[in-house]
Amino acid sequence: MKLVSAMRRQRSLLNCAPISARQLADRAMRSAISRADDSVEFTDQQNFDSAVARLVRLIPIPAESAEWFSEKDLVPASRWTWKKMLRNPAVLATSIAVAVIAGVFVFNFVSHLNDFPGSATARKLLGIAASARPVMLDPVNAEAGTLSDLFFMKHGLEHYDVPAQFADFATIGCRVFEDEESRRIAQIWVSEKRMQFFLFPAERDSKTGAVLRFPGWRYVRQEGWTGAVTEHSGVCFMAAIRGRDKDLESYLSKPADK
Amino acid sequence: MREVFRGPSGVPERKQNLPQLYRFCFLMLGDSRKAQDVFHATLREAAQRAARGELPTESFWLFRDARWRCLEATKSDLQPEPLEMDEHEVAAQAPSQIGRLDPMHLAIWISAAPDPQRSALALFYLDEFDYREILDLAELKLNELSRFLSNGRRQLQAWLDAKFPQTADV
Repeated sequence: MKLVSAMRRQRSLLNCAPISARQLADRAMRSAISRADDSVEFTDQQNFDSAVARLVRLIPIPAESAEWFSEKDLVPASRWTWKKMLRNPAVLATSIAVAVIAGVFVFNFVSHLNDFPGSATARKLLGIAASARPVMLDPVNAEAGTLSDLFFMKHGLEHYDVPAQFADFATIGCRVFEDEESRRIAQIWVSEKRMQFFLFPAERDSKTGAVLRFPGWRYVRQEGWTGAVTEHSGVCFMAAIRGRDKDLESYLSKPADK
Repeated sequence: MREVFRGPSGVPERKQNLPQLYRFCFLMLGDSRKAQDVFHATLREAAQRAARGELPTESFWLFRDARWRCLEATKSDLQPEPLEMDEHEVAAQAPSQIGRLDPMHLAIWISAAPDPQRSALALFYLDEFDYREILDLAELKLNELSRFLSNGRRQLQAWLDAKFPQTADV
């Protein structure tokens, strides 16, 4: 029964056998044709079909209808608009991806635009400032400017001086710790706007060991904190505050030789 | 009609295979004037839909559209009476007989066939589609298409034999 049905299907396929090889649709058809290739009946059918197809191709196209083929805009191109193009999912996805990549580049570019030697350390220290609690520091009741002696005598830290602009502020506490690169950092907490000061070694040239200096004050920002950094005698000082540049500007504009 | 329109984007590729669309109309109707009317109406509609950005995404929709227009155009015409047509086995000399035919004669013969045999023959002899595409376009099953084509060949052979009788060898 199965055999009869298979033969019937093969017969059906042969009756629909393509005229040109380019219409050889599927495996079943190819298999049916290959089995019948030698039969006279199938050869006659193929010759018959080819002759009819040749005759069909001779059907002339009236000039009036042929105009449709020669006209460049036979079917007016769907109007190309930005709106339509932007709605295309591929274009949309690509645009978003490009925008994100561009955004990341711009963000990186802008955030590193004001980079200076030591800015990476300064940012890390702003992170520490954000998470610091007063109990982590040794209580000290003195002016910030006087702590450089303490740092020198107790910890052997030379030139860990608080600049004159911040020297008068009353200190709540201070400590000295090492960061992950074993650099010794001094942290001072003052009562003025709960600012924190950091003193850390300035960055050095990896080949020559020379201090990489930079003039004046530079700003760094991290997680809502802003730091104003300056370098003096191979030591960087950073005043960190929760806020923006302008919160520090008034302090920095004070004359340094007070 | 995969070559006339590029696909879902609906951007027309123009020109390609429109001659085949015209030939299809001609085979379906057997009349050049009617074929042109249907052909132009189909393309005009396509142009309007393209302008509105509403081109169908399915394949061969132009042929499908043209087929329905052809059927519609002949609905009011006199329909061929169902009668037993002579059938002859396809002969080896058929190609030479067909070679003596005018395309117009063939179109008249095909257009006189009842549908869906007419659609099946017209689509098949365009040599544009594979059998699965014809099944889809003419909404037929394989055994139906097979029967229509097989009968069509034998009927055409009988007609050819009647039109160009074989002269006996002397």
